[in-house]
Amino acid sequence: MSWITIVWSMNAAACLTLAGIYLLVWCKQRQNWAHLLFSFTAVATAAIAAFELAMMHAETIGQYEALLRWIHVPVWVLVISFVSFVRLYLHAGRRWLAWSICCLRTLVLILNFVFTPNLNFRHITSLRQFSWGGGEIISVPVGVANPWGLLSSVSLLLLLIFFVDATITVWRRGDRRRALVVGGSMIFGAILAWHVPLVIWGIIDIPFFLCFTYSGIVAAMAYELSYDVLHAAQLARQLQASEAELRETEQRMQLAASAAELGMWMWDIARNEIWITDKGRALFGFAPSEKLDFDRFRSALHPEDRESVHQAVENSLRTGAEYESEYRAVLPDGEVRWIAGRGHVEFNGDGQPVRMRGASVDITKRKQAEELAARQRNEMAHLSRVTMLGELSGSIAHELNLPLTAILCNAQAAQRILANGQVDRTELREILNEVISENKRACEVIRRLRLWLKKGEARQDSVRINKVVQDVLKLIHSDLVNQKVIVNCELARNLPAVTGDPVQLQQVLVNLVVNACDAMADCNTPERRLLIRTGTGNGNGNGAVLVSVTDRGGSIPEEKMEQIFEPFFTTKAKGMGLGLSVCHSIIAVHRGKLWATNNADCGATFHFSLPIGIRGTAVPISSNGQLDDHA
Amino acid sequence: MTTPSPTVFVVDDYAPVRRSISRVLHAAGFAVAAFASAEEFLAQYDPRILGCLVLDLAMPTLDGLELQDILAKAGSVLPIIFLTGTADIPKSVQAMKHGASDFLTKPVNDEDLLSAVRVAFEKNRSVRQQQTELSEILARLATLTPREREVLEYVVTGKLNKQIAGDLGTVEQTVKVHRARVMQKMRVRSVAELVRLTQRCGISAR
Repeated sequence: MSWITIVWSMNAAACLTLAGIYLLVWCKQRQNWAHLLFSFTAVATAAIAAFELAMMHAETIGQYEALLRWIHVPVWVLVISFVSFVRLYLHAGRRWLAWSICCLRTLVLILNFVFTPNLNFRHITSLRQFSWGGGEIISVPVGVANPWGLLSSVSLLLLLIFFVDATITVWRRGDRRRALVVGGSMIFGAILAWHVPLVIWGIIDIPFFLCFTYSGIVAAMAYELSYDVLHAAQLARQLQASEAELRETEQRMQLAASAAELGMWMWDIARNEIWITDKGRALFGFAPSEKLDFDRFRSALHPEDRESVHQAVENSLRTGAEYESEYRAVLPDGEVRWIAGRGHVEFNGDGQPVRMRGASVDITKRKQAEELAARQRNEMAHLSRVTMLGELSGSIAHELNLPLTAILCNAQAAQRILANGQVDRTELREILNEVISENKRACEVIRRLRLWLKKGEARQDSVRINKVVQDVLKLIHSDLVNQKVIVNCELARNLPAVTGDPVQLQQVLVNLVVNACDAMADCNTPERRLLIRTGTGNGNGNGAVLVSVTDRGGSIPEEKMEQIFEPFFTTKAKGMGLGLSVCHSIIAVHRGKLWATNNADCGATFHFSLPIGIRGTAVPISSNGQLDDHA
Repeated sequence: MTTPSPTVFVVDDYAPVRRSISRVLHAAGFAVAAFASAEEFLAQYDPRILGCLVLDLAMPTLDGLELQDILAKAGSVLPIIFLTGTADIPKSVQAMKHGASDFLTKPVNDEDLLSAVRVAFEKNRSVRQQQTELSEILARLATLTPREREVLEYVVTGKLNKQIAGDLGTVEQTVKVHRARVMQKMRVRSVAELVRLTQRCGISAR
């Protein structure tokens, strides 16, 4: 046994080992056909090695012919496997070339078994035996080549072209390592395989060593596949790590969400599917396995809030603005829950909304607290109005007395005119007109009083502030006359409307005017003048309507500028010290500001600002305007 | 000199009240002059006209009490009937103290208003009559010579001619002549009548 037997056998053994390993790998990962094809290739190579070794040791021509005939079977398997490997694994090579090679090789295999002794030789005349490379005695055939053997050469040529073409494709694709290793070895192998026709045609005098040309390819393939396996393992490790990280993040997020009692959700807009966490399902009273879409979500809302939520969502989808709304949800058992929802829309490349992610939270407690605070605030405001009305009762009685006096006197004058017998129709008509108009005036006073005394929720009307000023001056007209206060008004024209409760705003102004009158009475100002101004300005960066009441009384000590708005702070002998604090909270609820300044010459000015046009919801009261603490 | 007929002056800043009160008074047969403010009234008022003033207590700028003051200082005897919408006690007391004729609250009944106006008219008439009488007495007094006036002051104390002559350092006969002149100039027949007149115009006895 010389090196030839050892090398060929080792080659076969190595190929078989690789085949075994990758067959095992394929068994674990059935979807990976490249591994199976590689196994076929390796087995075929091993078989070729075995045949070649046997052929070198052949004693008779018949033996040699039979071996040469049967070696075509592993070669066929090998070629088919190569072509499939290139197509499936490298995703390269022309399809028609692949089919041509396969068909041609199959034809070669069939013809090989049709011809005797085989496709390569018409007949083998002798076996030339000699010692090769210092090894044992080997046999090399001598005979007449079969012209059909050209088909085999053509298939080999096509294979070479196929490999070159596939390698170029892979190279161009940027996968240069793969092109060099696999493509290069395949081209090299296909070129080396040309020794077979040369031997057959008797041009060179060496034994066949096809197994080595192909085992090079097998080694390259094995290297490539092992690289893939290693790469996959590395990826798997990375994936594991990032999965762990993701799990960690997710857990942290869930912890945060559950701590904040957040229900997280995601709405796939195209498919109209809503995914929501269990906490979120519990929030809305959805069953754990219930399939959710937007309509189902909408049906869970309080009927009065459906439209506003719908509009908020539409607006976000249209403009991409953050979705934000507060609404009531009605649970299956009839419980009503206040929920705040916030969300963000994601758009695709065409600017179409794709999905919306967000979170919802139960704000029932906050809403209840707000409602309670609002109720207490309104009650406080009402109480303050009633108190104020008590103080103004004389003035209000006077306001009613005037029209009543005119009505009574007119009616009695009419009676007298009738009794006198000289009826002047024109005069009677005038009298009746005046009775009617005075009656209306009295009704107006009563209507204002009723509004003033009405208890209930604060309204959200569109209010013209100049009208408020005029109403207030009518309401306390007699008081002003009694105190001999002259009121000058500088009312800006075309003021924008503000949103709020007209009566509460009147209340603020009455308070400021009455305070101003008191201030002037206290310091015996000879000239009791009051200036009421309206205009526009800047409040919190947005447009605001400004109102100011300027008196000519005493000034406010600087250190008490803030204190005057605190409850129970008063400088009056009879005052409760609630008026200004109530005003302060009323203005705060209207998202405005109330403050005081001293005038340059004498007296003080009280100002308040109201934002233009903002429709406030139930606003939580700011920390310095709170009422709930001391209501 | 022709004096206009007695008139009710109405001062009220609220037009419907002013008009309706004027109508009632007019229908009851009174001459009425109405004013929207105290200033307007002062500008147009003729003190010679008899009558009374129906005055609103609460008015901007000059109010009822201030107008009452101004009139009193000017020596007006025009009776004032206050009309007020609010029963303000301190103000009503002040008004009455300063000689208001009446104090009515709104809404006022026509009969109450008319009787108050009648009473005020009567008051005004009698005051004016007294004023006329007084000025006549004063005119008679002014015709006396200083000596006669001296004698008058002694006569009204009830002294006899002899005593007066003694006090003045003259003779009884002279005093008798002076006394007769005084009685004639003052147009009285008895000493009692003379005493009544001098009391009315505030001449004190010596």
